[in-house]
Amino acid sequence: MPMPAEYHEGHGNHENANFALGSTQDASNMTANMYRVGDYVYFETSTSSPYQIRRIEELNKTANGNVEAKVMCFFRRRDLPSTLVMLADKHQLASAEQQRSESPASTQNQKLENPDTTKEMTSKDGIGPKVMIKGGGKGGWLKAPLSEAQEPHGMEDSVPGGVTELNTKQRHQMKHRELFLSRQVETMPATHIRGKCCVTLLNETESLLSYLNKEDSFFYCLVFDPAQRTLLADKGEIRVGSRYQAIDIPAVLTAAEKEADSRKLQDLETLVWTPRHNLTDRQIDQFLVISRSVGTFARALDCSSSIKQPSLHMSAAAASRDITLFHAMDTLHLHGYDLSNALASLVPSTGPVLCRDEMEEWSASEANLFEEALDKYGKDFADIRTDFLPWKTLKNVIEYYYMWKTTDRYVQQKRVKAVEAESKLKQVYIPNYNKTPASTTAPSTATIVPLGNSNSNSNGKPTNILNGNSNGSMVADNSGILMVGVSGKPCEGCQGLQSPQWYAWGPSHMQYRLCQPCWTYWKKYGGLKVPSRIDDVDLERKRTGAGSDEESKGISGAHRPHRCNVPTCGKEFKLKAHLSRHYASTHGVDLRGAAGSGGGGSGSPRPVMKTRSAFYLRTSLLARAARRLCPAQLRTRHAARAPHQPVNTMSLRHFCVQLASKSPAELRILARAVRPRPRPRVTDIASRLGDLNPEPQLPGDWDWLMLTTPAQRKQPDRVSFPRPPKAPDGSLLYERVPNKPEVDRLTLTPPQPQPVMSTQQNILKRTRPFDEINGSDGIALNATLPPGGPPAKRIHHAQQLHPKHTLEHPAPAVLPLAPPLNGRATHPHTLPHGVPLSRSNARKQVISWMDAPDDVYFRATEQIKRVRRTLASVELRRAARKPWRRLSIPLHPPHLQRTVRGEDMVVILD
Amino acid sequence: MSMQPHSRKRVCYYYDSDIGNYYYGQGHPMKPHRIRMTHNLLLNYGLYRKMEIYRPHKATADEMTKFHSDEYIRFLRSIRPDNMSEYNKQMQRFNVGEDCPVFDGLYEFCQLSAGGSVAAAVKLNKQASEICINWGGGLHHAKKSEASGFCYVNDIVLGILELLKYHQRVLYIDIDVHHGDGVEEAFYTTDRVMTVSFHKYGEYFPGTGDLRDIGAGKGKYYAVNIPLRDGMDDESYESIFVPIISKVMETFQPSAVVLQCGADSLTGDRLGCFNLTVRGHGKCVEFVKKYNLPFLMVGGGGYTIRNVSRCWTYETSVALGSEIANELPYNDYFEYFGPDFKLHISPSNMANQNTPEYLEKIKTRLFENLRMLPHAPGVQVQAIPEDGAVIEDSEAEEKVNPDDRLPQRDLDKRMQHENEYSDSEDEGEGARRDNRSYKGSRDRKRPRLEKGQEAIDTDIKKEEDIKSEPKENEKDEKTNSTNEEAKKDGGANP
Repeated sequence: MPMPAEYHEGHGNHENANFALGSTQDASNMTANMYRVGDYVYFETSTSSPYQIRRIEELNKTANGNVEAKVMCFFRRRDLPSTLVMLADKHQLASAEQQRSESPASTQNQKLENPDTTKEMTSKDGIGPKVMIKGGGKGGWLKAPLSEAQEPHGMEDSVPGGVTELNTKQRHQMKHRELFLSRQVETMPATHIRGKCCVTLLNETESLLSYLNKEDSFFYCLVFDPAQRTLLADKGEIRVGSRYQAIDIPAVLTAAEKEADSRKLQDLETLVWTPRHNLTDRQIDQFLVISRSVGTFARALDCSSSIKQPSLHMSAAAASRDITLFHAMDTLHLHGYDLSNALASLVPSTGPVLCRDEMEEWSASEANLFEEALDKYGKDFADIRTDFLPWKTLKNVIEYYYMWKTTDRYVQQKRVKAVEAESKLKQVYIPNYNKTPASTTAPSTATIVPLGNSNSNSNGKPTNILNGNSNGSMVADNSGILMVGVSGKPCEGCQGLQSPQWYAWGPSHMQYRLCQPCWTYWKKYGGLKVPSRIDDVDLERKRTGAGSDEESKGISGAHRPHRCNVPTCGKEFKLKAHLSRHYASTHGVDLRGAAGSGGGGSGSPRPVMKTRSAFYLRTSLLARAARRLCPAQLRTRHAARAPHQPVNTMSLRHFCVQLASKSPAELRILARAVRPRPRPRVTDIASRLGDLNPEPQLPGDWDWLMLTTPAQRKQPDRVSFPRPPKAPDGSLLYERVPNKPEVDRLTLTPPQPQPVMSTQQNILKRTRPFDEINGSDGIALNATLPPGGPPAKRIHHAQQLHPKHTLEHPAPAVLPLAPPLNGRATHPHTLPHGVPLSRSNARKQVISWMDAPDDVYFRATEQIKRVRRTLASVELRRAARKPWRRLSIPLHPPHLQRTVRGEDMVVILD
Repeated sequence: MSMQPHSRKRVCYYYDSDIGNYYYGQGHPMKPHRIRMTHNLLLNYGLYRKMEIYRPHKATADEMTKFHSDEYIRFLRSIRPDNMSEYNKQMQRFNVGEDCPVFDGLYEFCQLSAGGSVAAAVKLNKQASEICINWGGGLHHAKKSEASGFCYVNDIVLGILELLKYHQRVLYIDIDVHHGDGVEEAFYTTDRVMTVSFHKYGEYFPGTGDLRDIGAGKGKYYAVNIPLRDGMDDESYESIFVPIISKVMETFQPSAVVLQCGADSLTGDRLGCFNLTVRGHGKCVEFVKKYNLPFLMVGGGGYTIRNVSRCWTYETSVALGSEIANELPYNDYFEYFGPDFKLHISPSNMANQNTPEYLEKIKTRLFENLRMLPHAPGVQVQAIPEDGAVIEDSEAEEKVNPDDRLPQRDLDKRMQHENEYSDSEDEGEGARRDNRSYKGSRDRKRPRLEKGQEAIDTDIKKEEDIKSEPKENEKDEKTNSTNEEAKKDGGANP
């Protein structure tokens, strides 16, 4: 694959390729990266927040081959509403307190009250968030060291290294190891798993240090209910009272009573077999064989049986079923283990004994009825019986069912089921995640240009100029992981100054950074190794609601409103879509862009929400000014062509610092572009052309260029597309047109590798589910687009997805087609310029987040660059603006075309 | 491990051929059919002919209300799928409906399961048998007036109540993956029944069974809970089961044992999360059997039915002391056991979250609790040593043993009088009742810990050497069993 590695990594879908269980990884790696149902794992939902801890409940393969994990959520302390955290602490202290007060000398009264006090606790808190903790001191580890001196008797004291030995730092770190179980289940892409951890219910025999000393181990004692916002102890109780215990526990009987014991064994049981007989094992076996042979013979005599079992083998097999054997044993017992009597009873005067179980008893038609019924009702045997087999008893049906399960028919059904169940995986292999957040890859030469931090636009939001490559590696995330080229600051976690990599951390204005180990610690445990002011910052951030979206979603996506991140705003919205609209309208921020770049660039392949939106770079005043003022440094054109190359920030900054001192008004002047040339209207030009034309060969030859006056215009007999009615405000009222995908899906046709000229059909085809399309489709489509004008914008986007598949399946069918070039796909017979892609700014229609196409960009090959060079800049620019237009350039020499064909374009999802 | 022919016990087995046809409902994991599968395996393994097979009576409402409330049993007796709607309120009250659905023949099913356990207990009381097996029983979640966890009538409690008529102290051991809460609750405040439950604890049904739940009132320290985590394997299980049970036997000195053999602690169970094999599970039976106490084995959970029937078949063979082949014999349900058609199963490679340290700590804590037991009521000092002597002297003299059960019984009888003593002993009767705070004087006895452990180790060693004692009342049977032994189809595959 010509795809550069870095892109591959950022490309969530590609990791699926590794899901195959029999991959060639070495064994140890396999087990480490093999995730099973029931495993506790880290999930990364955002680069800027710690991992989330989940337990895998189910692994499901989705239709497009991705694996989704249904997971049970564990919450960290930091994820809890602050009220609950306080309550948890309070009650933990309380329970510790309670424990302390219970010295062995303390009165029995107090002990008696104990269960009640526990209950009271819960009822008292009934109004607000509720915490119920058993008085047992579970979770009492938080108690301050001042209680150390007291209580040489508490439970914890028997524990070596118990709570009392924790120092401040350890207590701080302990908080990071405490989780809160929830019953909340959510579904996440398995590719976001970032390793295993271990979560156990805290047992008071355990030393807390054992958790601290073990990497990736967590404990929980309380259950958090995000919906009701309560904390509960995960514990049932054994109730005490006469309503629960067995009363009248009988005293041991005296000898006399025993004599008189009314319990008679014969009332309680019936003997059906005893080993106390005079028969040998061999004799019993012989008898069993005889009774089977009698059964075989009986089947031969029996009409219905001989139809069912036409061959002797079948009769013998039927006679060997367990029912015959049980009957033989019963017969032996009945006849006092006397072989001859028992034998005689096998062949009474009425004929040889025939024992048939349900399996045999049922006719073929009954069996068919049963299967039919089973299909219809499932295993609701009562219904099956009443509606299909009323002449059978329920027991008959059930017995038959369990025997039927041993038949081929069932096995076949099971196979079908097994195929269906294949989507349920037991384990999944997820390779190590090596991608580091972009901000760390070039920590010193950060590609973000801190243009005018002092300078603010309307919102006071720092403006960042991205070099147009948020696609690849950049971050424009409000939530704080903004690596500004700060250097020299010590690690916020350990104050260290040495680290192979640095990670921006905390709110962006603070410009904190973490060293590698601290970063890892923070990601895993959600805090810093030592208590620091940042914890407060963290909390504060949460309290003010400025936490990143992921955080609030983590707590309870459904319950937390989406809140605007802009510090001074803080408006809340129910839907994320509303929020993004708000961002766009009020703050001029394209959230999609931000989210997309945050996810795509900074380490996480995807943000929480699966956004596939394209982005666009909104140039701010400053950016535009910068472009104009320091074109030499910025090399705009080059930068645009090579968005993956970092911009030399130093020189830019130098310039921009000067800029920063200028007032907005000055900037505006500086940024003002050349006045747009006034363009004449097209009608004017047409008229002029008509006028200008020298001597027409025939009169009327150029008449068509002249504008017909409205009066002269021919009115159509019938208005096919009448103008929609006008709303009071003058706008036109349009009827809603059904969604494209819905319409398109109706006309699915199998992919056709050869270029078809029926454009319409091709366009419709492109909405096939992503997977089903093998790249040829797309190319064919691209190649056959009419040169006249753009089809609907969305179609455009979707087309660009296809090349990904050409990468994956280099189908020979594609070969005759020229690959896309400079954003254009071509047909061999046409010029190697076709349809370039347009960006989302061209899109007017609001598409749901899920439907939004992936980000895409074309990497210009040498070839394309060469072609570009042949174009005049005006031409180039025009082509860029009107990507659907066909370019008229001289045909390339054939050898060029061939090399071009070999190249592929690069697509970046997310 | 090869069993001596002498260790052949008189085994009674309770089964009703109807039991497999009760059906909890579509999608319900509890399948009484597993009991029938076990039964068919037993027949075809030739184990059937080695034990007494009984069809149990249907327990009467009277018998059931020995533990359960009248109302509850009346409700169970009258509710049917077709009149459910009339009982909405009661269904809620008695927790019948969801986990414990109303199905056809519900009451009969309860009758059979309870009838088996009660009959078995009476059988043991009458000394008509040494080991009784009722795979249809073991419904350990049922409460006094409440169904729970697929259990409606607590046959175990009824059986134990029966045993208590003849036995001063009864030990209940529960190796189901779920906590045996119903039995524990029933005997939470009595010192005559010790309940020992090994179970998964932590976000798991039924939520009880914390290490610190140790009983209340007189029953304080008579409930032993071993909370475990996911992935218990044979080795870890044995490492905790053997010492705890040894210690319990030593300190509690029961005269009868009930073992709930819930098979959901096996690997690959639909609801369980342990990683035991049939062998590891069976080891518990083997170990308890060695104490030569009247022994009631009941079923319980187990939701991967092919493994349940494997397990219970194997455990029946363990009870009988006859080895059976790993190759499963052909039977009506043979296809269920594919693809390997073997008796034994292999553990999965799931992680064992129970570290040795964790188990060690649990064990230590439980030993501390067991130390709190009034050492098998001091007044019975005369009685108990003989029990202990069984174990110790057996090596030297097997002949001594035949008598030891009867004297023990007699002594137990006497204990009844002394019973009052033990009740009013240091525990202080009234004051402690309903007292659920047990933190007070926990660690008083700690120093004795190390010593205690040594003691156990030696006990275990001795246990291995026990031969077991032929009983007088067993003699007629013994000849038979030796006969059988000689002719036994040799399918020995350990």
